[in-house]
Amino acid sequence: MTTLLRRLLRSQRKPRPYKTRSRAAKATLRLVFFVPAMLLIFLFVAYPVFATIGVSLFSSDGTFAGLTNYGDVLGSPDTVNLNGFPKPPPFGTLIHNAIWIGIHLPLSLFLGLWLALVLRDVKGAAWIKTAIFIGMVTPLIIGGILMLYIYDGSIGVVPKFFDTIGVKGLAVGWMQRPVTLLFGLILGSVWLWTGFSLIVYSAGLTTIPKDYWEAAQVDGTSTFRMFTRVTFPLLKPMTIVVITMTILWELKIFDLVFGATNPQGGVGGAADVLALQMYRYAFVQIPARFGAAAAVATFLSILTMMATVATIRYMVKR
Amino acid sequence: MAGPGTPASEPGKASENYRPPSARGRLIAIIAALLIITNVVTGLSAFYLAQPTVTAAALCPGTSGASRAPAATVVTTSVATDSSSSQFTFHIDPPFQPRAATVTIVGPWAGPEAAPFLRVLENFTRITGTPVTYKNIRQEDLTQILPTQFASGTAPGDVIFMVSSFIKANGPAHMLKLTGNISDAKYTPGSLDPVKVGTDNYGGVYTGKVKPGFWYRKSFFAAHDLTVPTTFQEFKDLVVKISKISGIRTPIVSGDGVGWPLSDVTEHFIATYGGAAMHRALMNKTKAWTAPDVRAVFADRLVPLLAGKCFSEPLEWNTVALTNWWGGLHALYFMGSWITGLVSNTTDLGVFSLPPLTGTARGIVFAGDYFFVPKYTAIPTEAKQLAEWLAGKDGQDFQVKQGGHIATALGVPLADYPAVDRGVAQLMNGVEILSDLDDTIGGSFQTNFWSQLQLLWVSPNQLDSVLASIQAKVPT
Repeated sequence: MTTLLRRLLRSQRKPRPYKTRSRAAKATLRLVFFVPAMLLIFLFVAYPVFATIGVSLFSSDGTFAGLTNYGDVLGSPDTVNLNGFPKPPPFGTLIHNAIWIGIHLPLSLFLGLWLALVLRDVKGAAWIKTAIFIGMVTPLIIGGILMLYIYDGSIGVVPKFFDTIGVKGLAVGWMQRPVTLLFGLILGSVWLWTGFSLIVYSAGLTTIPKDYWEAAQVDGTSTFRMFTRVTFPLLKPMTIVVITMTILWELKIFDLVFGATNPQGGVGGAADVLALQMYRYAFVQIPARFGAAAAVATFLSILTMMATVATIRYMVKR
Repeated sequence: MAGPGTPASEPGKASENYRPPSARGRLIAIIAALLIITNVVTGLSAFYLAQPTVTAAALCPGTSGASRAPAATVVTTSVATDSSSSQFTFHIDPPFQPRAATVTIVGPWAGPEAAPFLRVLENFTRITGTPVTYKNIRQEDLTQILPTQFASGTAPGDVIFMVSSFIKANGPAHMLKLTGNISDAKYTPGSLDPVKVGTDNYGGVYTGKVKPGFWYRKSFFAAHDLTVPTTFQEFKDLVVKISKISGIRTPIVSGDGVGWPLSDVTEHFIATYGGAAMHRALMNKTKAWTAPDVRAVFADRLVPLLAGKCFSEPLEWNTVALTNWWGGLHALYFMGSWITGLVSNTTDLGVFSLPPLTGTARGIVFAGDYFFVPKYTAIPTEAKQLAEWLAGKDGQDFQVKQGGHIATALGVPLADYPAVDRGVAQLMNGVEILSDLDDTIGGSFQTNFWSQLQLLWVSPNQLDSVLASIQAKVPT
C-alpha cells in the first residue's frame, strides 16, 4: 500500500512530459505502419532481388561461379551478334531491345501526342480514344497471336495491302522473314501501346490553362512556336511518364514476341529479346541455366534502373 | 490589347470562349510528316533488306508465293479445329464406391483429341476400380511448371505425359523407375530408348504418331491425273506438274507454328536420303550437321525445292495451311498421322513417303507419347498401375481402334486400326523406326533448330550458316 502511494506521489511530483509521451506514441505509430510495409517490401522486392543476384553467381551444378555467368551472357552471340554486319537480323537480344526502343519510343510517343492534340476538341473523341486504347488493354500474348495473322503471307491484311499497292517485296509473310519480323513486331507494338501515350497526353492537355494559348495567339505566335514554347514544355511531366514507362515496357517486352514467334525469337532468332533469352535459359534449356537466366535478369534490372534514373534526372534538370 | 474578334468590353469571356487555334494544320502536318518519314524509312529498309540476295530459276514455275498467287477463292471446308489450347479437368469414377485413391494424369490432349483418351481412362477405371482425374496441360507449359514444382517436391499429377528429352534429363532426380513395370520385350524395338538412363527406365510410351510423308487428296490426284512418285526425279516432276495446275499457289504447303512441322519435313529428308543411320548419328550427336554428307542431303534434295518455290512459305499449320491445302490451293502437305483427325473425309486422304534410294536403309520418324511417374506422387502403386495399363496392349488397342494413333506395344492387331491408320501402319513395314530427333535432344537445341529451319525455308541460300548455327547449339 505504502509502495503504491509512494509511486503515485512520485508520478505526481515528476509528471512525464507530454511531449515525450507523444514522441513515443508517434514512434510506435510509425512502427505500426512502417514495419508491415517494410516486411512486404523485404519479402517481395528486396529478397527476390538479392536472391536473383545470388543465383546469378552460381553455375548450374551449384558451384560458385563469380561473374562467369555475366561474362557468358554478355559474350554470347545470343546477346550481341554483329558478325558480318551489315546483315539482316539477328543482331542479338541487346541490340534488338535497343532497336525496339529506337523505333517504338518516338513513334508511340509522337503518335500519342499528335492524336491527343488532334482529338482534343473533336466531338465523339472519347469513342475514338477508347478504340485506340483497346490495344493497350489487350493482353500482349493475344497481340502477338494477332500479329501472326495480320502479317501472314496468305491471309494477312498487311501483305495484302502491299500487294494491292504493288510493293511485292513486302507482300510476303512478315513473320517468316528475319528482316520484316522485328520491324513488324515493333510497328505492331506501336499500335498496341499508342493508347497509353494518347491517354496520358490527353489528360495532360486538360491541365494547361487555355489563357496561355490565348496570350500566345494574341502575341501573334505561330502554331508551331506555340507548340514548342507553350504546349510541349507544359506537357513535360507527361512526357517523363510516357518515356519512362515506354522504355521500361520495351526493355521487359516478352509476351508479344513469345506469342508471335517461339522461345527462340522466331525465324533465325531475328526477334529475340532479353526477357525471352532469360526465359529460354531458365525454362527451355536442358539442363536449365538458372545462373545465366538470373544474370540476364540482373542485367535487365540494371538497364531498367539506368534508363529510368537517367530519364527522370534529365527531364527534371531541364 | 484583345485579339481580333474579341470584344474589349468582355475581357473575361476570352478564355471561356477559347477554342484551339484553327491554324493547327502546320503543326499537324509537321508531326504527320515526321511519322510518315519514320514509317517510310522503316518500310523501305525492310523492303530493301527483304530482297533475296540470290535469285535462282524457280523449279516450280508460276508459283512464287502469295504475291503472284491467284486471288484467294472462298474456301469452304469442314476441317475440324484443334482445341488443344483449352485446358480442362475431367474426373472418372467407377460405378461403385471406389476403394483406391484417385490417380491424377496430366496429358496434352484437349477437345476432340481428348475424347478417345478419356474413353481409354474410363475403361481403366471400369476394369481396375481406380478413379482417375485427367488434367490437360500443354507440354510447353509443363516445361515451366515442372522444374519449379520438382524443386519444391511436388508434381501436378501422378502420371504425366512429357517429351522424352525432359524425362531423360530429369529421370534420376525426380522420377520413379518403371523398369519392373514396363519392359522392352513388349514394344517395337527402340521405343523406350529415349526415356532410358543407362539401363534404368524412367518412363513409358503410350501410342504414338508416325510422320509418314506427304498427304494428298485422292480426288485431287484423280482429277489432275497425278500419280504417286517412285523416284526422287518423279517426285520433282510431280511438284512441277502440280505447280502448273490452275489455282495452285505452291505444290507443297509448309505448315508451321513454333517451327516443328518444318523439322518433321527435314527429318524425313534426312531419314530417307541420308538414311536411318545418319538420322540416328545426328540424334546421338556423333555426326555434325556441317558434315559433307549431311550438307549434301540438304543441298541436293531439300534446298532445290525450297529455292524453286515448290514449298509455300511457312503458314500456321492447323489453320491457314490445313485449310489452304484441303481447299485445293496446295496439293501436298507433310504432316504426322494425326492429320486424319483434322479433316472431314478421311477416305479422300492418301499419303506417300519420299521415294527411297536403293542401298540406303531409310527410316520413318515415330513420335511416341511418353509419360513418367514423379517421385513426389503420394500413390506410387496406383500411379504405376495406370502407367502399366497405358503402356500395355489392352490400353493401346482401345486407343488405336478410335483412330489417329499407332500402337507401340506389340500384339495390337492390324485389323483393329481404322482403314486410314492401317495404311500408315503399313508404311512402317520394312523401314527403320526412328525417334523424333528434336524431341529427343530437346532443350534450346530444339527451339534453335526450329528457328534455323524457319530461316532456311525463306532464305535457302543461307544453308551453310543455318547448318553452322544448328551445330553450335548441339548440347555437349
